[in-house]
Amino acid sequence: MLEADIAALFITLRLAVTTTVILLILGTPLAWWLARTASRARSLVEAVIALPLVLPPTVLGFYLLLAFSPDGPIGATTAALGLPSLAFSFWGLVLGSVIYSMPFVVQPLQNSFAALGSRPLEAAATLGAGPLDRFISVALPLSRRGYLTAAVLGFAHTLGEFGVVLMIGGNIPGATQVLSIAIYDHVEALEYSQAHWLAGGLLISSFLVLLVIYGTNRRVHLMRSA
Amino acid sequence: MIEAALRLEKAGFRLQADFSIPEKGVTAVFGPSGCGKTSLLRAIAGLEPRATGSLSVNGQTWLSADSYLAIEKRGVGLVFQDPSLFGHLTVEENLLYGRKRLRNTEQMTDFNELVNSLGLQNLLSRRPAGLSGGEIQRVALGRALLAQPRLLLMDEPLSALDQEGRSKLMSILEEFLQQVDIPVLYVTHSSDEVARLADNILLMSAGSVTASGPLQQVLGAVDQEMSHSDTAFSVLEGSIARESVPGLSSVDCGEGICLRLPQSATDRATGSRARLRIRARDVSICLEQPRGSSILNILPAIVEELAAQQQGGSRLLRLRIGDNQILSLLSDYSVQQLNLQAGQAVYAQIKSASLI
Repeated sequence: MLEADIAALFITLRLAVTTTVILLILGTPLAWWLARTASRARSLVEAVIALPLVLPPTVLGFYLLLAFSPDGPIGATTAALGLPSLAFSFWGLVLGSVIYSMPFVVQPLQNSFAALGSRPLEAAATLGAGPLDRFISVALPLSRRGYLTAAVLGFAHTLGEFGVVLMIGGNIPGATQVLSIAIYDHVEALEYSQAHWLAGGLLISSFLVLLVIYGTNRRVHLMRSA
Repeated sequence: MIEAALRLEKAGFRLQADFSIPEKGVTAVFGPSGCGKTSLLRAIAGLEPRATGSLSVNGQTWLSADSYLAIEKRGVGLVFQDPSLFGHLTVEENLLYGRKRLRNTEQMTDFNELVNSLGLQNLLSRRPAGLSGGEIQRVALGRALLAQPRLLLMDEPLSALDQEGRSKLMSILEEFLQQVDIPVLYVTHSSDEVARLADNILLMSAGSVTASGPLQQVLGAVDQEMSHSDTAFSVLEGSIARESVPGLSSVDCGEGICLRLPQSATDRATGSRARLRIRARDVSICLEQPRGSSILNILPAIVEELAAQQQGGSRLLRLRIGDNQILSLLSDYSVQQLNLQAGQAVYAQIKSASLI
């Protein structure tokens, strides 16, 4: 494998892990609110979050690129704060991925919080647990499967991202070049053996990760219902 | 002492509950399905944030016009109708959930003693998913009590159980609830559970509390709303008397008047407390002592009160038998034919009574 390919592998993993962690942290209160609120704003928020499911990634990438530009809202903010521009940077990719993968994390969490019902939380409340305590000691552990699914889907989806990355990150080896784009480059250059290494490696490792996770999940589930 | 004046508006439903209940003993919250019993319990627990009015428990204000004590600070033990154990914890961890969160750790219920009296000692390491309905409710009761509540609320704890589980848990509750030294509010629509478990009763109908007080007194009132339905019943208290005829058991209801029942009570000691539930429609009246009747119990009684209102051609009468009062449901026609008056001495024929 080429040095650039190894760099791409690490950037991809770092991007996927960072995005997943941010999404789990952001997604938790968001999904909690969506699962419990009776507010009319809920449909609006749900629709916005689901947009990446239907939009071509290039559309999202295009608008993000405009926002990152010095005149755009995000670009102007970063400039005013004295921060470097997000365009063609790793953190720009993270922001794009967070938006792009959000439905894959928020929806499983929301479903899992909704399936929880109010009964266990009410029981915990009568037993003296305050709101945060109830969430940590009851809602979180009972939503383990939801978190697992959310993390797997968020990670996998970020791993396979192409369009958004190409639009806002460009293709800078060692900085913003991710695996999916490296593979594309190899194919364009007719370097099929390198493309095979990366594509095959990605295929097998993704499969193994999913197999291990779903296997563990199943055991947890069986143990629970035994 | 629990004093409440609670209001709650929900879609198509309005709760209006004004009552006070004593500091100790089991108070049955009794009424037909959908009359607001569960809403009342939830409002007391603090699970209905839109409830207004006032509520004070043993001098502590839980709800008033300008204060609302959070659920977790109220110290209520709540046993829900449906299973509410935490699926990710073992039985022991479930039992200790509330106890671990106690601030004041003086005067704690002895863990082992409670576990033994609820028969949970062999379940401690199990997970809720493997328990029977009755076991789940026993763990839920233990979990609630180990959190040292000031008030225990039970919402039809037997209703999700099968017949066998129900009668088993009922026997446990009957003994157990007598020893609990905090007030217990027990929601039910079963007269059997009321008769067996309750010391006091709170009658509810269409979102309102219609009567409350000691069981005998409330059930004996002929003008209560619930008495008008043909489900009216009385609870007769007495003690198990020495058996005179094999196969029958006798209950002394005071003044030497004994009720005989075609069921054996050999498992109960002579002199022990007994309660009988008698449906008003199973009690008829004769002016003279009948002879050659197959009815076991024909007892001298005094008519104390006749219901003024007539409903569906029938009337309720309150009779005194020994130390007890029972209700009788007669047709209006019979009342006129026999020319029954308050104060009259008659014979009450009790077609059936069940020892509970």
